[in-house]
Amino acid sequence: MNDDYLWDKTGEPDPQVQELEEILGTLRYQRKPLQIPNELRVPQRRNYFPWLAIAAGVLLAILAGGIWLSTRSRGDAPQRQAEVLSPAPVKEVTPSVPKTPERKNESPEEMVAVHKHRPRSSTPVLSKQEHEEALMAKEQVMLALRLTTEKLSLVHKKTQNAYPANQIKNQHRVG
Amino acid sequence: MKSSFKTPLITLLLIISTAFVAKAQDTRIQMTSLDHLAAKATETVDVNVDERLMKLAARLFSDKDEDERQIKKLVEGLKGIYVKSFQFENEGQYIPADLEPIRAQLRGAGWTRLVNVTSKKEGNVEVYLQFAGEMVNGLAVLHTDDKELTVVNIVGPVDLDKLAQLEGQMGIPDLGIESPKAKKKTNEQ
Repeated sequence: MNDDYLWDKTGEPDPQVQELEEILGTLRYQRKPLQIPNELRVPQRRNYFPWLAIAAGVLLAILAGGIWLSTRSRGDAPQRQAEVLSPAPVKEVTPSVPKTPERKNESPEEMVAVHKHRPRSSTPVLSKQEHEEALMAKEQVMLALRLTTEKLSLVHKKTQNAYPANQIKNQHRVG
Repeated sequence: MKSSFKTPLITLLLIISTAFVAKAQDTRIQMTSLDHLAAKATETVDVNVDERLMKLAARLFSDKDEDERQIKKLVEGLKGIYVKSFQFENEGQYIPADLEPIRAQLRGAGWTRLVNVTSKKEGNVEVYLQFAGEMVNGLAVLHTDDKELTVVNIVGPVDLDKLAQLEGQMGIPDLGIESPKAKKKTNEQ
């Protein structure tokens, strides 16, 4: 018997094979579109990333704000380390003065510490733009102070008129 | 789930922003509600000096000159000076409602009205102070006249003694105010 029919449907068909084909043919793959039932809920993956990013941003902003406020509240420090440690021409020891053993053993850090006490201006120099800005601000401050004191002067004048200083002295006790 | 996460985040943001705004504003009075009067005024003075500018300006006051040194002392601690002053040609160019936003701010946030002077000739002057404990932390002056409207706001620790010491210096009018120390000295003499 030739088995070609089983492999490529050529040759003489076997009736048993044909019968099986008919029975199993009902279960053959049939092409049709996928139908998802409406009641089926697909679980969504929660995406926390944007919220985490916002929270991180807020925290960073708070941190930056805190640092900014603390540095501002400190104001102008009387001496800045950066200025103190800036390289300056160092000629403390004259050649005629004999070096003491302690002096010889000084480390570079100690040398810097010595120069810390050198008097230097603590306020940095204003740039041209800053100077102009400061001048304008000064004028505005003066104008504002002038106006303020003018108004306070008016109040003072009026209150003095209403309650003269010697009013109490001139009062006489009744009874 | 999403909304339950959203609500606390928004609340947190609101709290933070409110805290920042409160910290930044402190005793500063918002005067933008008066800006529209500039169009009607014949003369406008608008001073806006914040803390940064105040520090810059303070550096220009000389330590050698006695007058300037006193002003510097006064100015150094301040966080801002804000003035809006309008001079009008005719009466009725502004209405009391224009001042209402300013007054509303002065009614709250720890402001105390120290003096209220009413004069037919020179208008109405109100002086407000804000205290932080025993220290004066802010000053506001409101002057309303038929043809003038002035609002002054000084933010920060205002030393009234030092302000009194500025009398008659660098164009600042003589207030005739005697500081308590000066009074003591004159009494001793």
